[in-house]
Amino acid sequence: MEMKFSKKTIEMNKILSPLDKFVFDFCRILDDEKIRYVIVSGYVAIVFGRSRNTEDVDIIVEKIPYEKFERLWNRLKKKYECLNTNEPKTAYYEYLKNKTAVRFSRKGEVIPNFEFKFPKMDEDVISLNNSVELRIKNKRLFISPIELQIVYKLKLESEKDVGDAIFLYELFKEKIDEETFKNWIAYFKIKENIIKELDESYGSK
Amino acid sequence: MAVNEKKFKMNKDENRKEHFEFIRKYVEWLKKTPNKKWSKVHAKFLSK
Repeated sequence: MEMKFSKKTIEMNKILSPLDKFVFDFCRILDDEKIRYVIVSGYVAIVFGRSRNTEDVDIIVEKIPYEKFERLWNRLKKKYECLNTNEPKTAYYEYLKNKTAVRFSRKGEVIPNFEFKFPKMDEDVISLNNSVELRIKNKRLFISPIELQIVYKLKLESEKDVGDAIFLYELFKEKIDEETFKNWIAYFKIKENIIKELDESYGSK
Repeated sequence: MAVNEKKFKMNKDENRKEHFEFIRKYVEWLKKTPNKKWSKVHAKFLSK
Protein backbone atom coordinates (compact mmCIF):
# COMPACT_ATOMS: atom_id res chain seq x y z
CA MET A 1 0.00 0.00 0.00
CA GLU A 2 1.38 3.34 -1.00
CA MET A 3 0.16 6.48 0.77
CA LYS A 4 1.44 9.89 1.80
CA PHE A 5 0.65 10.60 5.42
CA SER A 6 0.77 13.82 7.41
CA LYS A 7 -1.13 15.05 10.47
CA LYS A 8 -3.72 16.85 8.36
CA THR A 9 -3.77 14.92 5.07
CA ILE A 10 -3.56 11.40 3.75
CA GLU A 11 -3.06 10.94 0.04
CA MET A 12 -3.42 7.70 -1.90
CA ASN A 13 -4.49 6.30 -5.24
CA LYS A 14 -6.71 3.28 -5.47
CA ILE A 15 -9.54 1.72 -7.45
CA LEU A 16 -12.76 3.06 -5.97
CA SER A 17 -15.37 0.63 -4.68
CA PRO A 18 -19.10 1.30 -5.20
CA LEU A 19 -19.21 2.38 -1.54
CA ASP A 20 -16.34 4.86 -2.09
CA LYS A 21 -18.20 6.35 -5.06
CA PHE A 22 -21.36 6.71 -2.97
CA VAL A 23 -19.40 8.50 -0.23
CA PHE A 24 -17.41 10.80 -2.52
CA ASP A 25 -20.53 11.84 -4.49
CA PHE A 26 -22.41 12.80 -1.33
CA CYS A 27 -19.46 14.61 0.26
CA ARG A 28 -18.87 16.66 -2.87
CA ILE A 29 -22.30 18.19 -2.40
CA LEU A 30 -21.44 19.15 1.19
CA ASP A 31 -18.16 20.63 -0.05
CA ASP A 32 -19.99 22.60 -2.76
CA GLU A 33 -22.41 23.92 -0.15
CA LYS A 34 -19.46 24.87 2.09
CA ILE A 35 -20.69 22.70 4.93
CA ARG A 36 -18.05 21.23 7.23
CA TYR A 37 -18.34 17.53 7.98
CA VAL A 38 -16.33 14.57 9.18
CA ILE A 39 -16.79 10.89 8.44
CA VAL A 40 -16.39 8.68 11.48
CA SER A 41 -16.68 5.01 12.42
CA GLY A 42 -16.65 1.99 10.08
CA TYR A 43 -16.09 3.65 6.72
CA VAL A 44 -12.81 5.14 7.99
CA ALA A 45 -11.46 1.58 8.17
CA ILE A 46 -13.23 0.38 5.01
CA VAL A 47 -11.79 3.13 2.79
CA PHE A 48 -8.28 1.89 3.69
CA GLY A 49 -9.15 -1.69 2.78
CA ARG A 50 -10.85 -3.27 5.82
CA SER A 51 -12.45 -6.48 4.58
CA ARG A 52 -16.05 -5.78 5.48
CA ASN A 53 -18.95 -3.79 4.13
CA THR A 54 -21.42 -1.53 5.91
CA GLU A 55 -25.03 -0.48 5.50
CA ASP A 56 -24.41 3.05 6.75
CA VAL A 57 -21.75 5.72 6.70
CA ASP A 58 -21.64 7.88 9.81
CA ILE A 59 -21.19 11.57 9.11
CA ILE A 60 -21.06 14.41 11.62
CA VAL A 61 -22.02 17.73 10.09
CA GLU A 62 -21.45 21.13 11.67
CA LYS A 63 -24.58 22.70 13.15
CA ILE A 64 -26.08 24.81 10.40
CA PRO A 65 -29.12 27.12 10.42
CA TYR A 66 -32.36 25.81 8.95
CA GLU A 67 -32.08 27.94 5.78
CA LYS A 68 -28.74 26.37 4.94
CA PHE A 69 -30.08 22.90 5.68
CA GLU A 70 -33.07 23.51 3.40
CA ARG A 71 -30.75 24.57 0.57
CA LEU A 72 -28.75 21.37 1.09
CA TRP A 73 -31.96 19.33 1.21
CA ASN A 74 -33.15 20.78 -2.12
CA ARG A 75 -29.81 19.95 -3.67
CA LEU A 76 -29.76 16.42 -2.24
CA LYS A 77 -33.32 15.55 -3.24
CA LYS A 78 -32.36 15.38 -6.91
CA LYS A 79 -30.37 12.18 -6.28
CA TYR A 80 -31.04 11.14 -2.70
CA GLU A 81 -33.97 10.58 -0.39
CA CYS A 82 -34.29 10.94 3.34
CA LEU A 83 -35.42 7.63 4.84
CA ASN A 84 -36.96 9.26 7.91
CA THR A 85 -39.19 11.95 6.44
CA ASN A 86 -40.06 13.82 3.26
CA GLU A 87 -40.15 17.16 5.03
CA PRO A 88 -36.96 19.17 5.58
CA LYS A 89 -38.51 20.99 8.56
CA THR A 90 -39.24 17.65 10.27
CA ALA A 91 -35.74 16.38 9.51
CA TYR A 92 -34.19 19.53 10.95
CA TYR A 93 -36.38 20.33 13.95
CA GLU A 94 -37.61 16.90 15.02
CA TYR A 95 -34.49 14.87 14.28
CA LEU A 96 -31.27 16.86 13.94
CA LYS A 97 -32.07 19.53 16.54
CA ASN A 98 -33.11 16.73 18.92
CA LYS A 99 -29.68 15.12 18.48
CA THR A 100 -31.08 12.31 16.36
CA ALA A 101 -29.64 11.31 12.99
CA VAL A 102 -31.45 11.29 9.66
CA ARG A 103 -30.54 8.85 6.91
CA PHE A 104 -30.02 9.63 3.23
CA SER A 105 -29.75 6.98 0.54
CA ARG A 106 -29.76 7.15 -3.24
CA LYS A 107 -33.37 7.32 -4.41
CA GLY A 108 -35.05 3.91 -4.13
CA GLU A 109 -31.94 2.13 -2.82
CA VAL A 110 -32.18 2.29 1.03
CA ILE A 111 -28.65 0.85 1.45
CA PRO A 112 -26.03 2.09 1.71
CA ASN A 113 -27.10 5.25 3.46
CA PHE A 114 -25.57 8.20 5.29
CA GLU A 115 -26.34 8.52 8.97
CA PHE A 116 -26.29 12.31 9.07
CA LYS A 117 -26.11 14.05 12.43
CA PHE A 118 -25.02 17.20 14.21
CA PRO A 119 -22.26 16.93 16.85
CA LYS A 120 -23.55 15.51 20.14
CA MET A 121 -20.54 14.63 22.24
CA ASP A 122 -17.27 16.50 22.90
CA GLU A 123 -15.43 13.93 20.80
CA ASP A 124 -17.73 14.71 17.84
CA VAL A 125 -16.71 18.38 17.99
CA ILE A 126 -13.02 17.47 18.35
CA SER A 127 -13.33 15.12 15.39
CA LEU A 128 -14.96 17.82 13.29
CA ASN A 129 -12.39 20.46 14.25
CA ASN A 130 -9.40 18.17 13.70
CA SER A 131 -10.53 16.24 10.66
CA VAL A 132 -8.00 14.74 8.25
CA GLU A 133 -8.34 15.43 4.55
CA LEU A 134 -8.23 12.16 2.61
CA ARG A 135 -7.32 12.65 -1.03
CA ILE A 136 -7.88 9.88 -3.51
CA LYS A 137 -7.10 10.75 -7.13
CA ASN A 138 -8.71 14.16 -7.65
CA LYS A 139 -11.37 13.67 -4.98
CA ARG A 140 -11.35 14.47 -1.29
CA LEU A 141 -13.26 13.86 1.89
CA PHE A 142 -12.74 14.55 5.58
CA ILE A 143 -12.29 11.74 8.07
CA SER A 144 -11.83 11.53 11.81
CA PRO A 145 -8.26 11.69 13.18
CA ILE A 146 -6.91 8.13 13.13
CA GLU A 147 -5.87 8.09 16.83
CA LEU A 148 -9.36 9.09 17.95
CA GLN A 149 -10.97 6.64 15.55
CA ILE A 150 -8.98 3.67 16.86
CA VAL A 151 -9.73 4.42 20.51
CA TYR A 152 -13.41 5.17 19.85
CA LYS A 153 -13.72 1.76 18.20
CA LEU A 154 -12.03 0.09 21.18
CA LYS A 155 -14.56 1.74 23.49
CA LEU A 156 -17.42 0.07 21.59
CA GLU A 157 -15.84 -3.34 22.42
CA SER A 158 -17.79 -5.52 19.93
CA GLU A 159 -15.80 -7.95 17.75
CA LYS A 160 -16.54 -5.85 14.65
CA ASP A 161 -15.50 -2.58 16.31
CA VAL A 162 -12.35 -3.89 17.98
CA GLY A 163 -11.57 -5.50 14.61
CA ASP A 164 -11.79 -2.05 12.99
CA ALA A 165 -9.50 -0.66 15.72
CA ILE A 166 -6.92 -3.43 15.22
CA PHE A 167 -7.06 -2.92 11.45
CA LEU A 168 -6.38 0.84 11.70
CA TYR A 169 -3.77 0.41 14.44
CA GLU A 170 -1.81 -2.19 12.48
CA LEU A 171 -2.00 -0.07 9.33
CA PHE A 172 -1.00 3.24 10.95
CA LYS A 173 0.99 2.26 14.07
CA GLU A 174 4.25 3.70 12.75
CA LYS A 175 2.50 6.98 11.94
CA ILE A 176 0.12 7.71 14.80
CA ASP A 177 0.93 10.31 17.45
CA GLU A 178 1.64 8.28 20.60
CA GLU A 179 0.83 11.07 23.04
CA THR A 180 -2.51 11.87 21.40
CA PHE A 181 -3.29 8.15 21.30
CA LYS A 182 -2.51 7.66 25.02
CA ASN A 183 -4.63 10.69 25.90
CA TRP A 184 -7.61 9.23 24.07
CA ILE A 185 -7.07 5.86 25.81
CA ALA A 186 -7.29 7.70 29.16
CA TYR A 187 -10.24 9.88 28.05
CA PHE A 188 -12.35 6.89 27.01
CA LYS A 189 -11.17 4.78 29.99
CA ILE A 190 -10.38 1.80 27.79
CA LYS A 191 -10.29 -1.49 29.70
CA GLU A 192 -6.96 -3.28 30.08
CA ASN A 193 -8.21 -6.49 28.40
CA ILE A 194 -9.31 -4.52 25.32
CA ILE A 195 -5.94 -2.73 25.10
CA LYS A 196 -4.29 -6.17 25.21
CA GLU A 197 -6.42 -7.27 22.28
CA LEU A 198 -5.15 -4.27 20.33
CA ASP A 199 -1.50 -4.90 21.01
CA GLU A 200 0.01 -7.17 23.66
CA SER A 201 3.07 -4.95 23.84
CA TYR A 202 1.18 -1.65 24.05
CA GLY A 203 1.15 -1.45 27.88
CA SER A 204 4.94 -1.54 28.02
CA LYS A 205 5.37 1.35 25.55
CA MET B 1 -30.88 -29.94 26.97
CA ALA B 2 -29.35 -26.57 27.51
CA VAL B 3 -26.37 -24.81 26.05
CA ASN B 4 -23.09 -25.25 27.89
CA GLU B 5 -22.49 -21.60 28.78
CA LYS B 6 -18.83 -22.12 29.68
CA LYS B 7 -18.01 -23.95 26.44
CA PHE B 8 -20.05 -21.46 24.41
CA LYS B 9 -18.12 -18.49 25.84
CA MET B 10 -14.79 -20.25 25.33
CA ASN B 11 -15.67 -20.93 21.71
CA LYS B 12 -16.78 -17.32 21.21
CA ASP B 13 -13.54 -16.00 22.75
CA GLU B 14 -11.41 -18.32 20.60
CA ASN B 15 -13.25 -17.22 17.45
CA ARG B 16 -12.72 -13.57 18.39
CA LYS B 17 -8.99 -14.16 18.93
CA GLU B 18 -8.66 -15.99 15.63
CA HIS B 19 -10.56 -13.23 13.81
CA PHE B 20 -8.16 -10.60 15.17
CA GLU B 21 -5.19 -12.73 14.10
CA PHE B 22 -6.67 -12.83 10.60
CA ILE B 23 -7.00 -9.02 10.57
CA ARG B 24 -3.30 -8.65 11.48
CA LYS B 25 -2.28 -11.04 8.69
CA TYR B 26 -4.57 -9.24 6.25
CA VAL B 27 -2.99 -5.87 7.11
CA GLU B 28 0.48 -7.40 6.52
CA TRP B 29 -0.73 -8.41 3.04
CA LEU B 30 -2.26 -4.97 2.41
CA LYS B 31 0.94 -3.17 3.39
CA LYS B 32 3.09 -5.10 0.94
CA THR B 33 0.55 -5.11 -1.91
CA PRO B 34 0.42 -2.26 -4.46
CA ASN B 35 -2.71 -0.08 -4.26
CA LYS B 36 -3.82 -1.08 -7.72
CA LYS B 37 -3.91 -4.76 -6.74
CA TRP B 38 -5.40 -4.68 -3.21
CA SER B 39 -8.01 -2.07 -4.11
CA LYS B 40 -9.13 -4.15 -7.11
CA VAL B 41 -9.65 -7.17 -4.84
CA HIS B 42 -11.34 -4.97 -2.22
CA ALA B 43 -13.67 -3.24 -4.70
CA LYS B 44 -14.66 -6.66 -6.09
CA PHE B 45 -15.31 -7.95 -2.56
CA LEU B 46 -17.48 -4.92 -1.72
CA SER B 47 -19.43 -5.31 -4.97
CA LYS B 48 -20.64 -8.81 -4.05
